[in-house]
Amino acid sequence: MENTKSFREFYDNQLLPDLKILDQQRKKVSRTALLIALLVLLVVVAETKLIPSDGNDWKGFVQIITVVIGFIFISVASQGYRKNFKKQIISKITKFVNNDLVYNPDGSISKPDFVNSNIFKNSCDRFKGEDHICGTIDKTKIEFSEVVAQYKTTSGTGSNRKTTYHTFFKGIFFIADFNKNFSTRTFVLPDFAEKTFGKLGQKMQSMNLGRGELIKLENPEFEKEFVVYGDDQVEARYILSTALMQRILDFKNKWKTKVYLSFVDSKVNIAIEIKKNLFETRLFKSIVDYDLMEENMNYLVLLVEIVNDLNLNTRIWNKD
Amino acid sequence: MIIAIIIVVLVLLFIMGLYNSLVRKKNDVENSFGSIDAMLKKRYDLIPNLVATVKEYMKHEKNLLTEITQLRTEVLKGGLSEDERIDLDNKITKQLSGIMVAVENYPDLKANQNFLQLQAAWNEVEEQLSAARRAFNAAVTSYNNAVETFPSNIMAGMMNYTRKKVFEIPETERQNLSAKDLFNS
Repeated sequence: MENTKSFREFYDNQLLPDLKILDQQRKKVSRTALLIALLVLLVVVAETKLIPSDGNDWKGFVQIITVVIGFIFISVASQGYRKNFKKQIISKITKFVNNDLVYNPDGSISKPDFVNSNIFKNSCDRFKGEDHICGTIDKTKIEFSEVVAQYKTTSGTGSNRKTTYHTFFKGIFFIADFNKNFSTRTFVLPDFAEKTFGKLGQKMQSMNLGRGELIKLENPEFEKEFVVYGDDQVEARYILSTALMQRILDFKNKWKTKVYLSFVDSKVNIAIEIKKNLFETRLFKSIVDYDLMEENMNYLVLLVEIVNDLNLNTRIWNKD
Repeated sequence: MIIAIIIVVLVLLFIMGLYNSLVRKKNDVENSFGSIDAMLKKRYDLIPNLVATVKEYMKHEKNLLTEITQLRTEVLKGGLSEDERIDLDNKITKQLSGIMVAVENYPDLKANQNFLQLQAAWNEVEEQLSAARRAFNAAVTSYNNAVETFPSNIMAGMMNYTRKKVFEIPETERQNLSAKDLFNS
């Protein structure tokens, strides 16, 4: 990993030429998009004038459909440009951060991997992922991608049946080899109950089913942020050494968002909640922009740094 | 009348709950002490292998090696009181870390594949041991809280349950940890 100065150099030499060409494409696409938007506006106005109001919502419905079609056209028109941006720019930045990493814009963490992490208890009815990156950092194999996971609810019966999808996780899902062997499962989850309900919350935590026993650890700061469940009291503490607890706390404070961890099958799974869609380009503003590229680089560095943050390359415990 | 019966039943249920939770907590303590024991046994099993591997290299530490073998035999013989046991364990810990530090003087040994494996196994056992001790301490704390807080302390008094001691990590053990850091390369 390089410092900011060398990224500047990399930006000037490697990214700038591609960015300039891509920006030409962006301009073309944005013109098309504006044209489509204008057309949609005209059609909507025409619909307002031509379709008679007969008390039904029919008119509004047609107008909404028109706008949706407009959006679909814009996204189709800009697809090639978005793909090029990812293929050329993001994949170059990935290589800059670490040469051993492989970036696949359309790839994703597999759904079974996500489900088997057991971090979320919601049934995963719709799963979507993109921006998959994998590789080996020193001795540690890692992979991560953006993930959106949803569960569905249905209400009503017969023709009134309505299915709604609710997002229960959106962000980065990260899987890495853990540096110790273990056979049971351990979960480190954000602590909602204890924070909100205090002592009573602790009672509620211990009733949590399906994730093993509540494990009370000796670091009070850690206990305030996280709740830990596990199949085995001793093995959970073997994984969560006093040092690792501190590292997880620091990691959480660095990202300033909700972080979930699970230790299953000698692997660590980390779910980092992020509302923003990462590694995307933009349409109506120039992308010949150092700050935009640096932001992408910083996110990648943060993610790859997890290996060091959790000290995963220290292999002194009988596992290579 | 019915109200009185209900109250009596509720009180009985409450007492039962207190009693069961105390017994459960006491069993947790015993159980977790057992897991420390299991980890210690694992550590004893490492000793013969370790001695066999380092024997050829370490000419000046012959004493250290015979001593640790003796200590191991003594522990495995059994029939020791808890205090004697802890004392012996502390000695073994001290000797083991002594060997691991002495290794620094033998570059050949440090590169020996067998030794490297043993060292990894040793680190693993030490870490598991420390995990088991922390689990024990957590169980004891939970038990002590029950024994000393109201109303379960009344029940504990009737059952003759008293406060238990948490595991204090002996000074030698802390040194042992820093010795481990030496090998964190």
